[in-house]
Amino acid sequence: MTVRLPADPVPSDASAARRRPALLSSRLVLGVFLVLLLVVPAILSPYYVTLLNYIGLYAMVALGLVLLTGVGGLTSFGQAAFVGLGAYTTAALTTATDLPAWLAWVGASPWLTLVAGLLITAAVAVVLGSLTLKLSGHFLPLGTIAWGISLYFLFGTMQSLGGHTGISGIPPITLFGRALDDGREIYYLIWAFLLVAMLTTHNLLDSREGRAIRALKGGRVMAEAMGVDTARARMVIFVIAALLACASGWLYAHMQRFVNPTPFGVHIGIEYLFMAVIGGAGYVWGAIVGASVITVLKQWLQDLLPQLLGSSGNFEMIVFGVLMVLVLHRAREGVWPILKKLVPVRTAPKTIDTAAEPLPRRTLPAAGERILEAKNVTRKFGGLVANDNMSLEVRAGEILALIGPNGAGKSTMFNQLSGVDTPTSGEVLFLGKPVAGHNSREIARMGMSRTFQHVKLLPTMTVLENVAIGAHLRSDKGVLSAAWRLDRAEEARILKEAARQIERVGLQDHMFDEAGSLALGQQRILEIARALCADPCLLLLDEPAAGLRFKEKAALSELLRKLRAEGMATLIVEHDMDFVMGLVDRVVVMEFGHKIAEGLPDEIQNNPAVLEAYLGGVD
Amino acid sequence: MKLRNTLLAAIGLAFAAGAAQADINVGVVLSATGPAASLGIPEKNTISLLPTTIGGEKVNYIVLDDASDTTTAVKNARKLIDENKVDVLVGSTTSPASLAMIDVVAESRTPMISMAASARIVSPMDDQKRWVFKTPQNDLQMASAIVEHMLANGIKKVAFIGFANAYGEGWHEQFKNLADDKGIQIVANERFNPADTSVTGQALKLMSVKPDAVFIAGSGTPAALPQKSLRERGYKGPIYQTHGVANNDFLRICGKDCEGTLLPVGPVQMARSLPDSHPVKASALKYVEKYEAANGAGSVSSFGAYAWDAGVLLEAAAPVALKNAKPGTAEFRAALRDALEGVKEVAGATGIYTMSAEDHLGLDERSRVMIEIRNGSWSLLK
Amino acid sequence: MDMSIALILGQDGITNGAIYALLALALVLVFAVTRVIFIQQGEFVAYGALTLAMMQAGTVPATVWLLVAMGVLVTVFDAGAALRAGRHRRAAAVAGWNLIYPLALAAIMAMLPVASLPLLVQVFLTLAIVVPMGPQMYRLMYQPVASAPVLILLIVSVALHIAMVGLGLLFFGAEGQRTPAFSDASFELGTLMVSGQTVWVLVVSALLIGALYQFFERTLYGKALRATAINRVGAQLMGISPALAGKLTFFLAAFIGALSGVLIAPITTIYYDTGFLIALKGFVAAIIGGLASYPIAALGALLVGLLESFSSFWASAYKEVIVFTLIIPVLLWRSLNTGHVEEEE
Repeated sequence: MTVRLPADPVPSDASAARRRPALLSSRLVLGVFLVLLLVVPAILSPYYVTLLNYIGLYAMVALGLVLLTGVGGLTSFGQAAFVGLGAYTTAALTTATDLPAWLAWVGASPWLTLVAGLLITAAVAVVLGSLTLKLSGHFLPLGTIAWGISLYFLFGTMQSLGGHTGISGIPPITLFGRALDDGREIYYLIWAFLLVAMLTTHNLLDSREGRAIRALKGGRVMAEAMGVDTARARMVIFVIAALLACASGWLYAHMQRFVNPTPFGVHIGIEYLFMAVIGGAGYVWGAIVGASVITVLKQWLQDLLPQLLGSSGNFEMIVFGVLMVLVLHRAREGVWPILKKLVPVRTAPKTIDTAAEPLPRRTLPAAGERILEAKNVTRKFGGLVANDNMSLEVRAGEILALIGPNGAGKSTMFNQLSGVDTPTSGEVLFLGKPVAGHNSREIARMGMSRTFQHVKLLPTMTVLENVAIGAHLRSDKGVLSAAWRLDRAEEARILKEAARQIERVGLQDHMFDEAGSLALGQQRILEIARALCADPCLLLLDEPAAGLRFKEKAALSELLRKLRAEGMATLIVEHDMDFVMGLVDRVVVMEFGHKIAEGLPDEIQNNPAVLEAYLGGVD
Repeated sequence: MKLRNTLLAAIGLAFAAGAAQADINVGVVLSATGPAASLGIPEKNTISLLPTTIGGEKVNYIVLDDASDTTTAVKNARKLIDENKVDVLVGSTTSPASLAMIDVVAESRTPMISMAASARIVSPMDDQKRWVFKTPQNDLQMASAIVEHMLANGIKKVAFIGFANAYGEGWHEQFKNLADDKGIQIVANERFNPADTSVTGQALKLMSVKPDAVFIAGSGTPAALPQKSLRERGYKGPIYQTHGVANNDFLRICGKDCEGTLLPVGPVQMARSLPDSHPVKASALKYVEKYEAANGAGSVSSFGAYAWDAGVLLEAAAPVALKNAKPGTAEFRAALRDALEGVKEVAGATGIYTMSAEDHLGLDERSRVMIEIRNGSWSLLK
Repeated sequence: MDMSIALILGQDGITNGAIYALLALALVLVFAVTRVIFIQQGEFVAYGALTLAMMQAGTVPATVWLLVAMGVLVTVFDAGAALRAGRHRRAAAVAGWNLIYPLALAAIMAMLPVASLPLLVQVFLTLAIVVPMGPQMYRLMYQPVASAPVLILLIVSVALHIAMVGLGLLFFGAEGQRTPAFSDASFELGTLMVSGQTVWVLVVSALLIGALYQFFERTLYGKALRATAINRVGAQLMGISPALAGKLTFFLAAFIGALSGVLIAPITTIYYDTGFLIALKGFVAAIIGGLASYPIAALGALLVGLLESFSSFWASAYKEVIVFTLIIPVLLWRSLNTGHVEEEE
């Protein structure tokens, strides 16, 4: 049986969008696009095929930036250097005549040098990533400028790489015995690479790992609490973006048949980022749109400006720069969202496979077993004692409320219990093991799951996807399985579990809405569903009833009672006395960092110290 | 709306500007922006001085800027060949960009005349480079003038400092080969960036090896910085520069620190001071006067002359090719290539061109003279 | 390498380092107050130096027309809005600063024999032309997107950098410029010859840093900027307009940039595109300071200058590689000191 909360009477933007008549199915639009791509070389003049080749190469790098910057929130100016690594690896290996024997076989075919380039790039990316990725936001872009410049000068300075003058005579790629030395031939290879990369990226983003990656931008604390290793997720997208750039460089080298350092300088690195942002950094298709807009615009300006302004000056850069600023003023999200509105494509909502096998469950401790125990916890901030000698315990099948007036130290105590902060003295034991010294992920793995006082969810993802993040630790399919869709059985199980928890908390009507479109109260409920999706044995709820309407509170109480009956241990930090008193088994009251009372709700309600603290004395 | 209509009209115009049939279309790729802009701009200025009719046919020049970037140079070359159906390409300004364009012109069988220095552009001759010619003296020819001068003046130990780019690199390679041959020792090899704000470290390094002379391989005004630093730090010995500095901006920037600088230049720089008997004087003077009339006195530089000479070569070769085929056809391009290869004793601003199947540069020692900076201006040695 | 070489290299490094320090301070300031990564800082350096050089060559600097053009745009936007709101005095003030001032400046340029004016007057006029472009740029380009994420602001900066380099080429041409030294005096310190211009650079840098310190510690506007840097929303609630803070910051940054340009123009040759690399080195210094600490950024700048000067002696071909790789150990050190997961914008 499920608890039903009253549906929000105001339709959200997202659900309204779904109801708008959309005439075209996404498959049809995609099909038309693919057919166009296929026939284009036969229709267009060779020069436009050349332009499309460049667009394809640029889009591949921009796609990496979509993943890295638009989705993951990490800005890189250094992608051109990775393009250079790919291009130089193959150029050096396929043109060298005096390679040592152990290396010479690699230069025999461009396909082998592609593998070599990818390996080298991955290694360099891992090293650079481990140096720079831990840093907060704005250091990364500046750091990438720095190593982008360093690599550029290294290419130019190393005589074995042709120096600044470059390497010529790079052989064409051979495919099935056919040398791809014509623009129309390599066109198909470039776009095949790009489409595979886009498909892979698209698949990846729509998976367990993908949700973890999408949580990187603005949801790292939440994701860590759900057991996502965000540092690893950042490294993953950094390496993927580098590999995409490397593959683009490999294709570039064999298309151009010549490499020198200038196409891999920091200016070009900046231009790649430009493409991603102008196209729409948050969207896979933004990469193609951005690469096309910039490439075509530059061509037009080159033809147009001399006609308008005369050929005496060079106005291209000036007009280009100013146009870009104007685009950003008008469309911060880039061009793709605008294009998307023009073509009414129907997006099919995700289907929940009800037949999927349920995810494995943890065996809950027997009712009455001690789950969480705080022993004499003291936390000092300088001279301020926020928690003074606090002790409490939560048992399986019990709801404990921690209450107190504003500034009593509840949130500090919550942080000590959830392992976010470490006590100055005393200790917190979870299932008999100390919490201190464990990070959020390990604590989540031990079976503690939490909600946040200030709601932390990913507003542009659907309710279903937000909740599915909770199941991160109950599944294990990685990046490669996701990219090649080997994870679908597990994905169905995750989604089924997420849907089950959403129904359980009564949000089923909003399952496919954007989480950001929900009312605040519903967002809090969503957080509970997400926490439940992790299958915890202890639930820590930070002010769950704040912002809820009367009926919603009743439904929440109902849900928590049911969980208690199943043996869940629950700790609630709450303001709302009415909500707490009718629900919980025991209450701990704090004031000025001390515990001033503990006991059954009835006792607490009549405790003079509590009344004094809450009401400033009995009238 | 109105703006949009204007834009659309302008775009249409741009595409329509392709060309009428039977005109000779010349595609020009040069670096009017980016790091090589100081070389590309005089070239661009020169294009508008080139002949507008050759052999009775109208000549259209379509100029595209590659921003000193090889990718853009290749893109432009493809555009000019595929879209504008040019009969010949002129460009590009830098050696890497020219090298990168070779593949494109060979594939489409279009002759190309490069304005860049590196000897690698036309040698060793192969199936692709058959289509490629160039107008600037090879670094080797210029370097030999310097080496000869050094030998004549008993200089045995030379400290080298060059741009950290293809220019400095090319010069170092050529100079080192020659110097090794002639027993001149290169005692220091330093690099600096054209955009550097200080080269004090390199200057001190050069001085610390106590050379007989310092050789600076840079182009344009940035080459003045090492020279100023050397003089400022008390270096008194002779300083050699390359022809890349031969413009008046260099004199203006370098000022009194450049007194006594020795360098090889193309005749164009010294056109007015050359003896009347010099075979290049008349042809060089013609360019100098035309350029200065358009751009002001003293504005001429050797880079513009490379573009001018591309025009001179076309003027000599195109009439021959026109006898065999009509412009706009593959036959014409092939005929033009053959005609370019057959050019004999054609006097340009840079020298006398005599091409052959093996030599697509065709310049000899008449293409350079040694000069000295004296009293703030160029003066011929000997 | 002997002692005298080391001394000369040290002096050279410190001179360059002083300029990087100024730029690093401006970068830190702009980022802290507006979250803009001010890539165009270098263009202000070049504009300052080249505007002065154009004046000395006896031509009306083309930058003054850019000032007029931007002034017209600001007037159209701001004075128009003020008029519609019925605030005539405000409209007049906007027009006065953005329309009449640039035009008056242009008129002065056209009428005075600028080439023969004393150097200090020329420097003053240069600053009068270039510095107001800072706040104008903020008004036109950043204010409409002031609340956008850092990434968008960064891309706007990059786009403006591209446009400004293009304009620089149009205004000043591709060849470099050098201006005469402020003083021809030179001093001997032991074996070391110190040129007058070096002393000028060091003294002015030190004075400017001192003045900035006073500004932030003592004046109302300085305190307002500091407050905005610490807490943007809080400062706004306290009545500090983010637009004003932005314009003020850009004014300071443009001032620092243009003055740096004027200072180094006699020491080195400045090109229309010189600024980018100089500003990037300022960035390296700013990163060393964590984009937050002014003193560490200034020390970092000296380190960058010294490293650059010594590596140009030891391994000139690898100089840029060495300078920009310096950032990696710094980042490593910083990342080892950043323990926990943080939310980002």
